[in-house]
Amino acid sequence: MPRFCLALALSLTASLASAGDSITVWWAQWAPSDGLQQLGDDFAKETGIAVKVHQIPWSNFQDQVFLDFGNAKTSFDAVVGDSQWIGRGASKGLYLDLTAWLPGAVDMAALHPKALANLCEYPAGSKKYFAAPLETDACGFAYRRDWFQDPAEQAAFKAKFGRDLAVPATWEEFRDIASFFQRPDKKRFGCAILTGRGYDSLVMGYQNFLWSFGGGWGDPATFATDGHVNSPSAVAGLEFMKSLLAYAPAGAANFDYVQCLESFTNGSTAMMMDYFAFFPGVARSMGDKAGFFAMPGHAGRRACSLGGQGFSISAKTSPAKQDAAKRFIAWFLQEKQQQAWIRKEGGFTANAAILKSPAFRSATPYNAALADSIDMVQDFWNVPVYNELLAAAQRHLGEALDGTKPAKAALDALAEEHAGIFAEAGLAK
Amino acid sequence: MRGLAVLRWSLLGVYAALAAAPLLLLLLTSFKSPADATSLDLKVLPLAGSASPHAFAPTLDGYAGLAGGGEGTAQPFWSYFLSSAIIGVCSTIAAVALGTCCAYGFSRFRIAGAKDWLFFILSTRFMPPLAVVAPVLVMYRQMELQNTHLGLILLYTVFNLSLAVWLMKGFIDEIPKAYEEAALVDGYSRIQAFVRIIVPQARTGMAVTAVFCLIAAWNEYGFALTLNNQRGVTVPVYFAGLQGNISGVPWPQVAAGVLVSVLPIMVFTLLIRRHLLRGVTFGTIKQ
Amino acid sequence: MAGMPGTGGTRMLAWSFVGPALLLLIAFNLFPLAWNIVLSFTNADLSGGTWEWVGGRNYATIFSDKSFAAKYGAALRTTALFTVLAVAIELALGFALALALRRDFRGKTPLLAVLLLPMMLSPAVMGLFWNLILEGTYGPLNQILGLAGLSQPAWRTEFKLLCLLLVDVWMWTPFMMLIALAGLNAIPAQLYEAAEIDRTPAWRVFARITLPLCAPLLGLAVLLRATDALKQFDLVMAITGPNDQATQTVSALLYQTTFANQKVGLGAAYAIVVLVGVIAVATLFTRYLDWMAARQGREG
Repeated sequence: MPRFCLALALSLTASLASAGDSITVWWAQWAPSDGLQQLGDDFAKETGIAVKVHQIPWSNFQDQVFLDFGNAKTSFDAVVGDSQWIGRGASKGLYLDLTAWLPGAVDMAALHPKALANLCEYPAGSKKYFAAPLETDACGFAYRRDWFQDPAEQAAFKAKFGRDLAVPATWEEFRDIASFFQRPDKKRFGCAILTGRGYDSLVMGYQNFLWSFGGGWGDPATFATDGHVNSPSAVAGLEFMKSLLAYAPAGAANFDYVQCLESFTNGSTAMMMDYFAFFPGVARSMGDKAGFFAMPGHAGRRACSLGGQGFSISAKTSPAKQDAAKRFIAWFLQEKQQQAWIRKEGGFTANAAILKSPAFRSATPYNAALADSIDMVQDFWNVPVYNELLAAAQRHLGEALDGTKPAKAALDALAEEHAGIFAEAGLAK
Repeated sequence: MRGLAVLRWSLLGVYAALAAAPLLLLLLTSFKSPADATSLDLKVLPLAGSASPHAFAPTLDGYAGLAGGGEGTAQPFWSYFLSSAIIGVCSTIAAVALGTCCAYGFSRFRIAGAKDWLFFILSTRFMPPLAVVAPVLVMYRQMELQNTHLGLILLYTVFNLSLAVWLMKGFIDEIPKAYEEAALVDGYSRIQAFVRIIVPQARTGMAVTAVFCLIAAWNEYGFALTLNNQRGVTVPVYFAGLQGNISGVPWPQVAAGVLVSVLPIMVFTLLIRRHLLRGVTFGTIKQ
Repeated sequence: MAGMPGTGGTRMLAWSFVGPALLLLIAFNLFPLAWNIVLSFTNADLSGGTWEWVGGRNYATIFSDKSFAAKYGAALRTTALFTVLAVAIELALGFALALALRRDFRGKTPLLAVLLLPMMLSPAVMGLFWNLILEGTYGPLNQILGLAGLSQPAWRTEFKLLCLLLVDVWMWTPFMMLIALAGLNAIPAQLYEAAEIDRTPAWRVFARITLPLCAPLLGLAVLLRATDALKQFDLVMAITGPNDQATQTVSALLYQTTFANQKVGLGAAYAIVVLVGVIAVATLFTRYLDWMAARQGREG
């Protein structure tokens, strides 16, 4: 008992001593959080400010964060929030405004402009910052390098399509390859693309077609949606996406991140769309069999869905904690730490120089494709009502994929619902 | 009669086979490697070294994974299990105790508006918990019950209370009043009569009620996930956390965790199986 | 129990028995209800901040023609369809199984243990696991169908509600079976003995003795299952997510509104509207129970 009391007293004094110089960071429960915690431990050694990365299941991460923001004081000092949260965080006074601080504390020139624009800035083009880039992820493809390099496959492909079997640069080439590898009787399939209805994966998958076919979600200035969401290009993109399902495993019209991953790692699928965050695991389990490429394009346009999260500071924590969090962010974004970050599993940097460096591009089988992808990322809406926009898009796009509505009709209905959401939120002009 | 027997055995056989298949798969999966769990071939033979496409090499890695140390698992499975045990057992005891007292009150006393009260108690069971989640959260914020065991214990007690009252009322209604009246004549107080006569008589009912309460509390997911993310986090939330795994869902570990976490309920149920089969009549069948 | 004198002392005693439970239920139901009514007239947001009164706007949103048909109406239809189908199938299967299990035979206890196991598992986790089972190409169900030379449907895209039903039936048929079995066990043996002496045909024994005596208990079992099925949420979240039109139950819609869309005010209004429905259904059921009790009273 005395020993127990002593331990208790010790831990109490320890927690008192560290009360002023420790910060709590909330992020989702996955490998990159483990990497961030390790960097946080390094930071603690250098500065004496302890960093605790608290991990919350993805399925509930957003609910938890915004629920906690409802308290007078948040349980976290910094949060690694999804790119689309920034509008809500910024306009509801939840995220600390970093506009004045960030340019002085961080080498802005080193940050990839797409990461800065998509993960940190709100509203778009305003040069107002509410986050620093932490995890800069994008959608890309993993493919079966061994199948692509098989001489017999190569010959058969050339005989059929009159060109070499190679990583596709356009969606049309992609469809040819997918159709070529679609052999259901041998349990081989052409492709797996993101179509899941659970949260956002269908929208994240669809955007890769929407933008390269020349469509868009709307006018960011007026929030007009009619003629954008349902433009002929958008319809063509959606119809093209749907056409790929003929070259996919059964049930591929409802593939979330995990089902895409599983259909690839079980060796049945030639090309698999997913976020790069999953590719370290793919590279580990598939080894040389797997290669990676950036999103194909259409008619000279290429784009892919942004992934990843920015590092934001809670407006509802003490100034001392906010300052400690700022120190950690500034430290984290130094090149030395970014070099350490890219060595953590799933740690993706926004440092433009690192992304361009040959050393980085060749460090893993997927880095080159990742770096190319960051150059062309775009994001869904990040306004405060983005969740409603997302839910509506998931539903209507789902109807189109399921065939309950033609693509045009689904997108018309979506444009109308989006317009209604913007009107109700007072954004539409 | 021959026809009936055939029908009877084929119904039992077919249903048992169908219902047991997913359970068997769960058991097999817990001994698989992650790759075998999502294999293109049906893997059902736990035979290392077999050439059959349906064979897999059994491993205990799934169970070992429960000890923690994997990616994104801040805490081992056992700490979640401990929270579940504390919350499950306490809320079950509370629900059964409060439910029994309440049922006794409604069974033996004339209470003003008894019918309306019983209706109110029943109606709380119809309410989707999500309809009360926002106010409960506000309340929990004010009372600092978030991230506590007590918070979930209270909540699960309330969720199970209406079931407990209704189940126990059925049982207590069946206990002849003469027993207590005799005790009262012998000089027992009402409370003593309740404790010494009714409680032992209602043991079957309490055991049955406890199983149902425990199952509900053990498996509740929505509030567990929403209210507690730091302390008092229960087993269902553990599985939610495994979904973020960037190498895919570790199915063997999920299966192993499911099997381990259902064990206590299984054991409890088996212990009281006789009560279960005789007991769950809610007083609807008069002997 | 009639006849207990209603003196002050016993009244105190009576309330001390029922009071604690009632207080808890009131605190966790009536208070939130009152709070929900307040919230439902505001534009309150999940992360707090300032709210404004918006009058009946949330209710107008719910009942506006388009929105009602697409969201609330659809969720009600889905919930009703799911509840009716799930409970009916579980009742029929459960009762049939109970009849089959009525007599003792060797191995009955282990068989019962296996049959009861699904209802003890966590729906949230088993929903996930069933997603794996039902997966189109690498799901064991289709693999088995493939080996048997049968067609392999894309369960998770084309039969979403069916998937939900399948898992619910798998989990909760044992509950119906358990209660039906207890009911069958409780039927006095002498009734059957008498019937045997009279050489009553088996179907008449079933129609005249077994069914009527079990009916009140089965009614209660249906009630308990229906209350859970009406609230179905965990399986929906695990199998299709809260936002899938094919399976968006009322609970899923409440989640989507209050949490995903963070519109606590609108979510509260939905909750109130749901509550009205809940009270209606609960009233119907208690009427039924009263009627049963009255019938029992007449017969017993």
